[in-house]
Amino acid sequence: MTATPLNNVNMVQAIAMALDDAMEIDASVVALGEDIADAQGGGVFRCTAGLSTKYGDARVRSTPIAEQAIMGAAIGAAIGGLRPVAEIMLMNFMTVGMDQIVNHAAKLRFMTGGQTHVPLTVRTATGAGFGTGGQHADYLEAWFAHTAGLKVVAPSTPADAYGLLLSCIFDDDPCIFIENLPLYFVPGAPPVRGVRLPLGRARVTRQGSDVTLISYSRTMLEAQAAADALARDGISVEVVDLRSIAPLDMGTLLASVAKTGRAVVAHEAQVDCGIGAEIASRLHRELFGRLKAPVARVGAARSPVPFSKALETEFLPTQARITAAVLETMTP
Amino acid sequence: MTTPIVMPKLGFSVNEANLVEWMAADGSPVAKGAPLYALESEKSVQEIEAPADGVLKILKAAGEVYEVGTVIGELV
Amino acid sequence: MNEPLSIPDRATLHEIYRLATLIKHADDRFIELIKAGRIASPYYSPRGQELIPAAISVSLLASDVVVTTYRGIHDQLAKGIPLKPFVAEFMGKLTGTCKGKGGPMHITHVASGLPVTTGIVGSGLPIANGLAWAAQLRKTGQVTVCNFGDGATNIGAFHEALNLASVWKLPVVFVCQNNGYAEHTKYEFGTSSRTIADRAVAYGMQGVTVDGNDAIEMYGAARAAIERARAGEGPTLLEAMTFRFRGHLLGDDGHYIPKAEFEAAVAADPLPRYRAWLLAQGHATEGQLAAIEAANESAFEEAVAFGLDSPFPPVSELSTDVIAMESAS
Repeated sequence: MTATPLNNVNMVQAIAMALDDAMEIDASVVALGEDIADAQGGGVFRCTAGLSTKYGDARVRSTPIAEQAIMGAAIGAAIGGLRPVAEIMLMNFMTVGMDQIVNHAAKLRFMTGGQTHVPLTVRTATGAGFGTGGQHADYLEAWFAHTAGLKVVAPSTPADAYGLLLSCIFDDDPCIFIENLPLYFVPGAPPVRGVRLPLGRARVTRQGSDVTLISYSRTMLEAQAAADALARDGISVEVVDLRSIAPLDMGTLLASVAKTGRAVVAHEAQVDCGIGAEIASRLHRELFGRLKAPVARVGAARSPVPFSKALETEFLPTQARITAAVLETMTP
Repeated sequence: MTTPIVMPKLGFSVNEANLVEWMAADGSPVAKGAPLYALESEKSVQEIEAPADGVLKILKAAGEVYEVGTVIGELV
Repeated sequence: MNEPLSIPDRATLHEIYRLATLIKHADDRFIELIKAGRIASPYYSPRGQELIPAAISVSLLASDVVVTTYRGIHDQLAKGIPLKPFVAEFMGKLTGTCKGKGGPMHITHVASGLPVTTGIVGSGLPIANGLAWAAQLRKTGQVTVCNFGDGATNIGAFHEALNLASVWKLPVVFVCQNNGYAEHTKYEFGTSSRTIADRAVAYGMQGVTVDGNDAIEMYGAARAAIERARAGEGPTLLEAMTFRFRGHLLGDDGHYIPKAEFEAAVAADPLPRYRAWLLAQGHATEGQLAAIEAANESAFEEAVAFGLDSPFPPVSELSTDVIAMESAS
């Protein structure tokens, strides 16, 4: 491996840059969440460090532990003309604010016949690997992708995190921006400041011809490692980073799988009824007769996230299981 | 002008109701607002008033369940 | 209350009467239309609660906003929602305020200051805080009035919202229209505090209980709370005592309300009482009140005719207003 370039950033820094740049150019961008202001440490993962000092605590507010209040305040502020970025510390805590997110944020544009809309962003972190256990590491993106009116984004690199977060903030609809705990500290190429990445666009990160491996968020690390290893065995894997869960970039996925004839979807969320199920269903329907094998899905084990390291490691979609799934599609 | 008497939706998850009884005789003149028929839906029996003046023409018999929207009679 | 309540001027007294009787007329007509099969929708009548929003609205600016619930036609009419699109929305027509896509539980009219109407008990309070935060940040002086029932005061969102409103000193007035029943459950069976206003102390804000069926008392308490909010002094919890005559949902036979209690409420109907008071005190003549009533009726009938004549939304409306069209992939 080459030495890490000096100007690399990690995802925490990229997110902090995006928030700073957004708040700088548009006074209507505000932030709220538990412990996000500098007096409380600038966010438990420090993604909002410096913001309250720079922009004041009227615009950057630490809140009580009250997800319904946080989400409701974000919704009302959005309807009132602001662009709030609400931090729900961990994705499992989104469940505490589900009424506000699903019954209100997602639906108000439609139910008001377009009179109001809700241009808010929810930033939320999740991901297993730190022994945080069953209530602090779930990936729930399928629930939100299943709800008309919501956009769902899950970047895997700092540069993507920056560009996609900017787009979420300036999107006129509610966006759920999913961050990953282990990924927070993984360095990557810096973003181009001020450049927004369009939502609903996947990215081919590695060209290949034998099989398409589709993934997002932290699982992209395992997917890329699997692709690299398989290349040494003569299997050419095309890797696609979804980046947007809703809307899905079916155009890119269909073009890739039409080319390779094989697909594997790998994500950290549960396999059953996960995003992989939606993608597999659509690929099967559109490419029926042209696929060389059924679409394979790899995800977390069917259980709550376990605490014990011995179990947690096997719970996750490992490089080994992704590799096995790829090989399965290659078997005639 | 003939006014249709339409089975209403009274309640949350109802799509039908029991026409319990007619409260005016077939062929008799009825005044707007007078009790016209009784219907039972979900848990309660409700008295429904005549929506207009007219002579009652019964199209559907009492003692049966009808879907919401069914024209059960007319005021001619 | 020991000091004499201040009586507002005659124009205000008449306006309160106009709004309250418009609401009652609308309620009567909606029920007629539902029973005649012309409107098919669950319906949550505010009959008995008319004076509350009528007495509040006269102290609001057009630029203030009101958040309400599925039992909200009184709050909406008092705020000044235009009648034609209001009735059309009830009928699910394209010309409705929400193009027929929200319906009675979600009547919204941004231009009248009605940006949010919710069907989920208690969920309007956290959103009202957000509207108030935007006003506070922008220093517009705008006040947010948030209406809900006694039933809503036992759900988590109520507590979270009151706490946050107080901590952030938001320009919001929380109006609990306490009609004694949470769906079919009487107040005492579900609520641990003696009064709702008692709960204000837990959230560091002023709590006031008033007779919501007394126009002058309601007017005074509302005015004070609105001025407090506008002056940046923070939120108030106003508990307006009232009664609902038509149950939770139209079709509800009210079997859970003790007969004597119901009869006493009917005898104390706030509208005829207010009418009689206006006449007895010389604040209005019979002719003036009759003219107000007639004007309400004819305006509402025009709106009903408009609604009945309007088209339903085309199927294409299913795919509009879900997300902004420009960003649809």
